[in-house]
Amino acid sequence: MSTSVAEQETSQEALPQRPKQLAMHFDTLHQQFTTGKLAMWLFLGQELLFFTGLFTAYAVYRGNHQEMFHYAHYFLDWKLGAANTIVLLTSSLTAAWSVRCAQLEQRKGLLITLALTFLCAGAFMCIKYIEYTHKIHIGAVWGSNFGVPLNEFPEHLREKYPDLTPEQLQQMGTGSFFAIYFCMTGLHGIHVLVGMALYVWLFIRALRGSFNRKYYGAVDNIALYWHIVDIIWIFLFPLLYLIG
Amino acid sequence: MSLPYATEEPSVVQGHVVHEEHEGLPGTIGHVSSWKSLVKVLSALIFLTVLTVAVAQLDLGRLNVVGALGIACVKASIVALWFMHLRYDKRFNFWIFISSVAFVAWMVGYILFDSTLYQHNIKEYRETHEITAPKIHEHDGGEGHESGE
Repeated sequence: MSTSVAEQETSQEALPQRPKQLAMHFDTLHQQFTTGKLAMWLFLGQELLFFTGLFTAYAVYRGNHQEMFHYAHYFLDWKLGAANTIVLLTSSLTAAWSVRCAQLEQRKGLLITLALTFLCAGAFMCIKYIEYTHKIHIGAVWGSNFGVPLNEFPEHLREKYPDLTPEQLQQMGTGSFFAIYFCMTGLHGIHVLVGMALYVWLFIRALRGSFNRKYYGAVDNIALYWHIVDIIWIFLFPLLYLIG
Repeated sequence: MSLPYATEEPSVVQGHVVHEEHEGLPGTIGHVSSWKSLVKVLSALIFLTVLTVAVAQLDLGRLNVVGALGIACVKASIVALWFMHLRYDKRFNFWIFISSVAFVAWMVGYILFDSTLYQHNIKEYRETHEITAPKIHEHDGGEGHESGE
């Protein structure tokens, strides 16, 4: 083209300084931020629908096998479920706080809240691990593999229904409850693991000082993701652990 | 020259200053939640968790599910409105979330209608045929309950 190098240089000088975090296809950091957030919300809307497939399976099975669901829920320890709920809610607080720290450019606070969110997620997974290993150990597993011997029946179940036999439970299809249980909590657990990886990434970026009051979209969007994971658990806890 | 970045002034409402700390550095993008509001939200959520567990101990029949899901919905709304900033965010994001929830309700609702529609046929079939659970290969199945033939 006919424009000389000198001309290009002067025209660039006339423009205001472009922030280095601003991608070339955006005009302002604000536009970049809101676009990212819109995309995140679309993704989260999709996530809800994604989980709904499993919630629907749950609803249909429960609607048609109410007794079996009632017996099966005795195999889940609501105390561990409640502990996990509190842990996850706390991590939601620290996630929301990390956004605040990023906005206020509190570097130390940001690092602390990101680390705490990661640790709470880790605690959640530890409790899940305890639950899973116990269930697999006693044979409370999916499908036709289900087979819990009488001596491994939970105390409350034995007290309330002393005549219930392991064969009856098996015939009722209790294995399908655990198939649903492992699918729902498993998929949720995978989301938690992904969240943990993302928080490690955020922590490293925060250490490098990448975020400021106008550029913290990653912290905000990952916190949004984390809150959706929390919302899913808010529904999983009463539906799986507390059904009467 | 006007600033290229939206600077919000959330602390001034109808002429007087809201008694929230005036926070946010000049030019901050988005709404800054005060730490007090975040802690309040967490306490509300923990209170509602305790309430869910307490309600589950009562035997209310079908109301147990309604109660548990009702409380869960309240908790989810609190998380979405405050932790996820939907209260202060662009309306469009709010409507994305709401439309997703509407589709969730639609999907679960319609499938549930359908799943219970044929239960009386299954029951009828069970009553007229002897079924033991482990048997899978039954050749007489499928004809007995078909009406019209």
